[in-house]
Amino acid sequence: MQNAVRVENLKKYYGEVKAVDGVSFTVTEGSIFGMLGPNGAGKTTTIETIIGLLDSTSGIATVLGMDTQREIAEIKKRIGVQLQDPSLFPRLTAKETLDLFASFYSNPLTVREAAAQVGLEDTLSKQINSLSGGQRHRLAVSLALISNGEIVFLDEPTTGLDPNARRDLWETINQLQSKSCTVFLTTHYMDEAETLCDDLVIIDHGKIIARGSPQELINSNFPHKAIEFTDPGLNEEEREALGKVNAAGGINFEEKEEKIILYNESVTSTITSLMEFTSRRGKKMQDLNVRSATLDDVFLKLTGRGIENE
Amino acid sequence: MSRARIFLKMFLANAKEFMRDRSSLFWMIAFPLIFTFIFGMVFSGNEEVTYSLGIALDSSTSTNKLLVERFKSIPSFKVTTGSVKEELDELRAGNRQIVLHVPDISRSDVSSSESSTIDLYYSQSEQETNRALISAIKEIFSGIEREITGQQPLFRLESKPLETKELGNFDYVMPGILSMALMQLGLFGVFQFMSLRENKVLRGLAVTPLPRDTFFESEVVLRLIIALIQTFLIVVIGSTVFDVNIIGNMLVLIGLVVLGAVTFVSMGYMLASFTRSLEGGRNLVQTVQFPMMFLSGIFFPVEFMPSYIQPIVKAIPLTYLGDALRQVMVGFPSQYSLATDIYVLSGWLVVSTVVAIKFWKWE
Repeated sequence: MQNAVRVENLKKYYGEVKAVDGVSFTVTEGSIFGMLGPNGAGKTTTIETIIGLLDSTSGIATVLGMDTQREIAEIKKRIGVQLQDPSLFPRLTAKETLDLFASFYSNPLTVREAAAQVGLEDTLSKQINSLSGGQRHRLAVSLALISNGEIVFLDEPTTGLDPNARRDLWETINQLQSKSCTVFLTTHYMDEAETLCDDLVIIDHGKIIARGSPQELINSNFPHKAIEFTDPGLNEEEREALGKVNAAGGINFEEKEEKIILYNESVTSTITSLMEFTSRRGKKMQDLNVRSATLDDVFLKLTGRGIENE
Repeated sequence: MSRARIFLKMFLANAKEFMRDRSSLFWMIAFPLIFTFIFGMVFSGNEEVTYSLGIALDSSTSTNKLLVERFKSIPSFKVTTGSVKEELDELRAGNRQIVLHVPDISRSDVSSSESSTIDLYYSQSEQETNRALISAIKEIFSGIEREITGQQPLFRLESKPLETKELGNFDYVMPGILSMALMQLGLFGVFQFMSLRENKVLRGLAVTPLPRDTFFESEVVLRLIIALIQTFLIVVIGSTVFDVNIIGNMLVLIGLVVLGAVTFVSMGYMLASFTRSLEGGRNLVQTVQFPMMFLSGIFFPVEFMPSYIQPIVKAIPLTYLGDALRQVMVGFPSQYSLATDIYVLSGWLVVSTVVAIKFWKWE
């Protein structure tokens, strides 16, 4: 299959700041590709360089086989884009805005279709001014969809949406895929990346630190289960001992939530030895929870910190 | 989609955005009209000027009565009579221009060779007017004298107005109001663009296939249409309400309006290219437009201004637009030739376009 997007050693520096520092990846046609990372990791800079809003410092990016520096005009006709912090003509109605954007493309969706995809049918006659933040956000997504393009770029598409609207938008994005449209999205929500994406890159400090499907990422980093419990107040020496005895797959101390997470393949033996460990020291184990590893765990393991704590 | 269709949609979007924004509607349409009405009412007053004349009579002989009659028959005078003291008090209070104190005269005195003295009091404040008034009053007295003595006048003056165009103050100001409106259209009109830029609406458009040229064409064409609407309204109000005689060729007028509008629109974009923020842009535009409004001579002649200001007067484009519109619209004596006006405006158009492109900022 052809690559919808190909990025090779892309760099974007602002003086000393390396916003994107040598990023390479490919996006398979017809897939939902996700770029996962905390705020400030370089997701938006990467996407804005690919769609021609920013000039790269060095490196190559192609979209549908075309170079983003030289053939950007042609590229724009065949993609749809939703930027972060979307902003529109304040006094036009949603319908007029969709109608305007539809006129830019040769084979657009109708206004109704585009509005229906994000559940904005009843809001069409309202001026942008009077839309809520969530409605404005959904409108921005529908402006990307109305292009009916071969690739849709969505920069943090569900930020600021309530849980229901998020789930609806996931549904819409999944339907895009069934129309053989490629989706390129960025997100800092682990669950979103895990549910939606066929392929992922995890980006941090402008560099890709892992790639693969969500399941691959989890399996390769964690053949283990995650065993969580509230920190009973262990000192340094006790923490070290705990790690040696019980955590074949690693251990994490989440100071903020006062939680300890152990990763181990054998759940029963881990819990038994944990009980022993704590009772010997006269501590209690509370809020014990056993689960499969998630992308959160992957991120935590790779970077040593939680993604939401940025 | 075809470019024409994109242009049309973009134009309609801009037009709706403009029409729904009360403040831009006010500055572009209402403000020039309010100006037209205010200046029209202030300057087009064609009523006869009257002077109040107080006459204090010591007695009411038939000759004295005749004097009062004669002055009352002259429309320029509003005549009141009273005692000397009363009338002089009124003069001091500023309610009389001139007070005449007429002593006891009778025809018999007149026929005698002795002349009677009439005291004329006037305030020293309005010397120019009073000098003219006093000589007019002297003239009236000799008229009355001849009437009484029955002498035939040697000369008779007959005033015959020639068919020339009478130019009032408002004829000067009305083209000025149109020039101001066109300047504001260009300079204030760019606020809409600056706000779209600051609010990242332009960024959102930059990722679509919308050609940037088309975006600008739609903005410029909208401004031109507003300019023609402004011209139409100001001309109609000027000529119907305030009797301004528009003598100019309409095509030349429209050509000038278009040139003026495009020049100031591109000046607006030039100013927008010097700054990123809406607030900075506003300040910059105000700094440019306010002095220009008063130094361009669109509302009053500026020849009397100090010589160190004259180079500024000669440099600013509004001077030439005002001059051109004055001569084309109402036939006011021009300061520069129409060709000079057009050259200077075109020069500004080219310079601001080049500078705007060079320093352009999309965000």
